[in-house]
Amino acid sequence: MGSATVRAVLLGGCLLALAGPAAAQVNFSGEWTGRYHEDQPDRVPGEEPGDFSGIPLNDAARMFGDSYDVGRHSVLEEQCAPYTMPYMFFGPNQFRIWQQMNLDTQELVAIEMHLGTYQQHRTIWLDGRPHPPEYAPHTFMGFSTGEWNGDILTITTTHIKQGYFRRSGVPASDRTTVVEHWMRHGNLLSQVTIATDPVYLTEPYVRSQEFVLMDRGNQNWLYNCEYANELARDKNLVPHYLPGKNPWAGEFEKKHAMPREGVRGGAESLLPEWKPGAPAARPNPAKNGGFSPAVLPQPLPAGEVRAVKVQGNVYLIAGAGANIVAQVGEDGILVVDTGAAGRSDKVIAAIKGIAVDKEIRWVINTTPGADHIGNNEPVSKAGRTVNGNQAAVVAHENANTRMIERKVPDGARPYNTYFEPSRDFPFNGEPVILYHDESSVDDADTVVFFRRSDVIASGDIFRTDSFPVIDVAAGGTIQGEIDALNRLLDLAVPSKMLQEAGTYVIPGHGRISDEHDVVWYRDMLVIIRDRIKDMVGRKMTLEQVKAAKPALDYEGRYGADTGPWTTSMFVEAIYKDLAKTGAPAAAGSAGAK
Amino acid sequence: MIRHTTGRLRSRAPHVAFSVLAVAGAMIVAWSGVAGVSAQRGAPPGPPLTAQQGAPVDLTGTWVSIVTEDWRWRMVTPPKGELSSVPVNGEGRKAAMAWDLNADNAGGNQCKAFGVGGIMRQPGRLRISWQDPATMKLEFDAGTQTRLLQFDRAARPGVEKTWQGFSVAEWEGPGAGRGAPPVGDTRVTGGGTVAVPGGGGQGLRGGPPPRQQAQINRGGDLKIVTANAREGYLRKNGVPYSEQAVITEYIHRLPTHPNGDDWLNVVTVVDDPRYLAQPFYTSTNFRREADGSKFTPTPCKTDPPLPVAAPARPASR
Repeated sequence: MGSATVRAVLLGGCLLALAGPAAAQVNFSGEWTGRYHEDQPDRVPGEEPGDFSGIPLNDAARMFGDSYDVGRHSVLEEQCAPYTMPYMFFGPNQFRIWQQMNLDTQELVAIEMHLGTYQQHRTIWLDGRPHPPEYAPHTFMGFSTGEWNGDILTITTTHIKQGYFRRSGVPASDRTTVVEHWMRHGNLLSQVTIATDPVYLTEPYVRSQEFVLMDRGNQNWLYNCEYANELARDKNLVPHYLPGKNPWAGEFEKKHAMPREGVRGGAESLLPEWKPGAPAARPNPAKNGGFSPAVLPQPLPAGEVRAVKVQGNVYLIAGAGANIVAQVGEDGILVVDTGAAGRSDKVIAAIKGIAVDKEIRWVINTTPGADHIGNNEPVSKAGRTVNGNQAAVVAHENANTRMIERKVPDGARPYNTYFEPSRDFPFNGEPVILYHDESSVDDADTVVFFRRSDVIASGDIFRTDSFPVIDVAAGGTIQGEIDALNRLLDLAVPSKMLQEAGTYVIPGHGRISDEHDVVWYRDMLVIIRDRIKDMVGRKMTLEQVKAAKPALDYEGRYGADTGPWTTSMFVEAIYKDLAKTGAPAAAGSAGAK
Repeated sequence: MIRHTTGRLRSRAPHVAFSVLAVAGAMIVAWSGVAGVSAQRGAPPGPPLTAQQGAPVDLTGTWVSIVTEDWRWRMVTPPKGELSSVPVNGEGRKAAMAWDLNADNAGGNQCKAFGVGGIMRQPGRLRISWQDPATMKLEFDAGTQTRLLQFDRAARPGVEKTWQGFSVAEWEGPGAGRGAPPVGDTRVTGGGTVAVPGGGGQGLRGGPPPRQQAQINRGGDLKIVTANAREGYLRKNGVPYSEQAVITEYIHRLPTHPNGDDWLNVVTVVDDPRYLAQPFYTSTNFRREADGSKFTPTPCKTDPPLPVAAPARPASR
């Protein structure tokens, strides 16, 4: 047999192997538009306030929805904010899908989507990569990976920002995970979405939508939005309704003569046998679980300390207690906070690992908190100023005072302090600006703004793992905390009008965030403050206020029943602060109705 | 009528000389023909697989509808004239406005809302089983309805139209009819793990192999086309479909959710040249139940409609 013949036979064999029993991979490429033959009044014009029917939500979500005022979308930072992935496909939408192929192997690497609504982009990775760790930023579309189950493309999306399951105010937390299934039948694309949100749902929320291939395509691919205040008003006003004060409460069921229990939603109301008066479904945490660790945001393994580039010259060092930030460049390394004591070797290794030939020149403390300053001394000693001294530790003078009160050893305390509302200096070719708020979570905090890198180290003024730890005895106030967050909002600018990325905010604890994350946190505090202020004004006792659960709609996300900072302690701090000052009218409270 | 094409890529071959492709192509065609009728690759040709044996996915069991969509029109009887979401034409609108529940009840037409065009949207339980190897049975406890799905192309409808019409069914997808393990095989019912080669499932490339492939399928769905049905209602409040309607359904058993739930997704496309201006698309989701103990047949009965809604005020953004 000649070599040409052998090659032909081999090639034929290879082709047979390739084209074997099931050469059928669905291609979703094309331009698609929705069909709104289900829930059309909700999906296109928009839901009516107070309609929670069909959602397996919990009491926290109901409270959020009852407090929701659609005017919240007039808040500057919310005006152009897109809907998040759990809602995006439910509302009016058209999208383009194309495939990203590996040019060398022609394997499908990812499916790309451009959504005309809010000009969003999605990448669904099919190359087997894991989901990012817990510290990674969240986006409106989240992080998606896909896998084939025969003809069904199954997609899992995590790292989604907080948003809504319904745009009339049914909330979706940033701990939502969405599993999608895509099926194609000719020019019909069916999508099932199953959302799991342990904060606001008692069980997964299943929906399905149909999309048809557009014969002529669509030209409506851009979303031109420009946020602006068009009326003279407080830009930090957060419209919302106080408990029991929503004038639209009950309107939906009255107008449509619907059974109230059904309109209030809940898993029990989704079953055929449901009747008004049926007992509420019990929360079943097991229903929210089961996800593979590979698809859920994971904390770093215990004991691991890792440096991660954020943007520009700035890095996050995670895994050492409170977040550590490092700014690196020609001048050396500037470190913001040093984490909890006991991991100094790993912290120093992580910092030095970013730039092995550079010295640690500065250490800035955002707070006197032990989990932020625990490695001050060894990190300082590992560095060297241009004068040959160990790296200088800098903090606001109140922080130094607090450390002295707490008997922090001299070697771990700041050598340099400042006393002004702000201080700036150049380092590594960019302005570094320190801001101090006299009373935020306490009287000693510092925010560090890396202006060229466009990154803010917020300290504990902003954190994504709990309610703010307002230390009233140390000068903290709820209004000061809100003011400090408002300053963060003033400094932060999104990368596009669509409220994502741009300025990154590294919180004292938790994941890398952006302006949109801060605005939700600020809104939460304004709303809780207004509720407690209203209760204080009505002469309710502390116990009565706690029993009224003024933070219920956020407890599942930021609260705790045990540990160093419980929901009860948080409510008590605000109560005592407001009671002390007689619950005065405060900026932003005009949003409460 | 909408176009329901296959929409699949059928070849992933690299660039080669045309002549080689042609020869190889002929071999593939010949080989595929064999594969389509034999139980396993490499096995001697045997009798054709029955529809039950060739099922690429196990749909049997009892499934309960989880009403997260159209709740206000499915869990209660909406007011007469509430046509939102349904693309009715003028004649359809006129018929809907003429709906009279009392007249239906008096005239023995209580089951008009439980016919093939509307039954999937009725809150209830769906029991799926095989009546024989070529006939799948769908039983709905709402309205005590039964629909038989004929896989045998020789089957013909009866003379009289019925509420559930005459349904022909076929398996779709890469696993359909290709030597699928028989229904009940642990590989399709969740008792084991199907070995799926390198990414994409079913020997495809592009994407990791499914992590929990065990739960359902080798890829495939059930397509059902139904006609010869009596006139009925798409919605409880008399939104009509006519005897001319053709209903196309796709039933997908979804990969088992991480929490252990199994879901059935039914896409329904109603083409009705008489009452609809365009095809009417809905999709309905059912969750698998451990057993049939909650399957409770009830007679066709529609509650009186809610009062007509008060004028709406401007909705949210």
